Amino acid sequence: MTELATARRGFLAAAAGFAALAAVPAVWAQGRGMSPVAGVPPAPTLVLPDMDDKTIDLARYRGKVVLVNFWATWCPPCRKEFPSLGRVRKLFKPTEFEVVAVNVGEDPETVFSFAGAPDFPVLFDRDSQAMARWPVKGLPTTLVVDRQGRLALRAVGGREFDDPAIVEQLRELLMPRST
Amino acid sequence: MNARLLTLLALLVGVSLSARADGDIEWRHRATQGAVTLSANPIGTAARRSFYTARGFAAETIRPYALACGFSLGMKNSGAATLSTRLADWRAVGADGRAVRLRLPAEWDQQWASTHVPEAARIAFRWAQFQAENIFDAGDWIMGMATLEAPLPGSFRLVALYHDEKGDHEIVLDKLACNHD
Repeated sequence: MTELATARRGFLAAAAGFAALAAVPAVWAQGRGMSPVAGVPPAPTLVLPDMDDKTIDLARYRGKVVLVNFWATWCPPCRKEFPSLGRVRKLFKPTEFEVVAVNVGEDPETVFSFAGAPDFPVLFDRDSQAMARWPVKGLPTTLVVDRQGRLALRAVGGREFDDPAIVEQLRELLMPRST
Repeated sequence: MNARLLTLLALLVGVSLSARADGDIEWRHRATQGAVTLSANPIGTAARRSFYTARGFAAETIRPYALACGFSLGMKNSGAATLSTRLADWRAVGADGRAVRLRLPAEWDQQWASTHVPEAARIAFRWAQFQAENIFDAGDWIMGMATLEAPLPGSFRLVALYHDEKGDHEIVLDKLACNHD
């Protein structure tokens, strides 16, 4: 199968899935803000391939605040919040802040057909084993890892990550007094 | 299917999705108690079959799930307190008073394991369900599919339980019905 055909198949599959979940009429807005993680435990390991099949270890970002988003293309709130990942990344210095999106159970062709090539790393947890080590109970779930590699904030369900409430929470984590 | 037709289909699907592609979910059934909102949409057989076959299920394998009385459920915590839910505590109650529990995702997954469903399809299934146990911090919300253990004729109520620091609470969705398209 050609790459185009594979991408097209991925698009159609994602579209079918999205239609099944969202083919329904009262609209919910995304949630606001993130919750502190009790005890601020160390972040679990996360070592996964990216879209180019290059292995990325979350530990490489130690010293930065990292927003880790678990998602899938068939999940409507994941799709809704995805563009805001790119927007919030641009609000901070790349030397201080990074966004990492962890796709669960899909392949790069499917993700590419939805997201193109985002300017932040998208990692692939094909067997969901990496996610199982993280405090994730549903999709989307987003965790913020502080400069010391600890889980600081969590959000279950969709968010707009450039919402002022979240941006302020991230700024607080980046302030010297929080290190 | 030739490439031109496939491209046209992709465009049509893309156009039809554009109004929904922002991910906003519209709910047909909704109940609010305090800061908690429970919502539901019946999902028909064809939609579920389409969704899961696109994820790697064989049509015959997903058939019992697609034929079951199924919903997309959403729950949102707009308050400050943390709350929790267990799907095993929820019941659908028919007009005649008969109560039916919801089939838990793990029960379906056992079925998929025994029928050798591909791992990727099982992962998609697992995470597309309303999870058996949930914890909602302030602002959290969760959605996912769920099925009744057995169909109920006509309309019924979905009685959902949740727990917070003040104890157990009920929230009820009225006038639900299975969608057997």
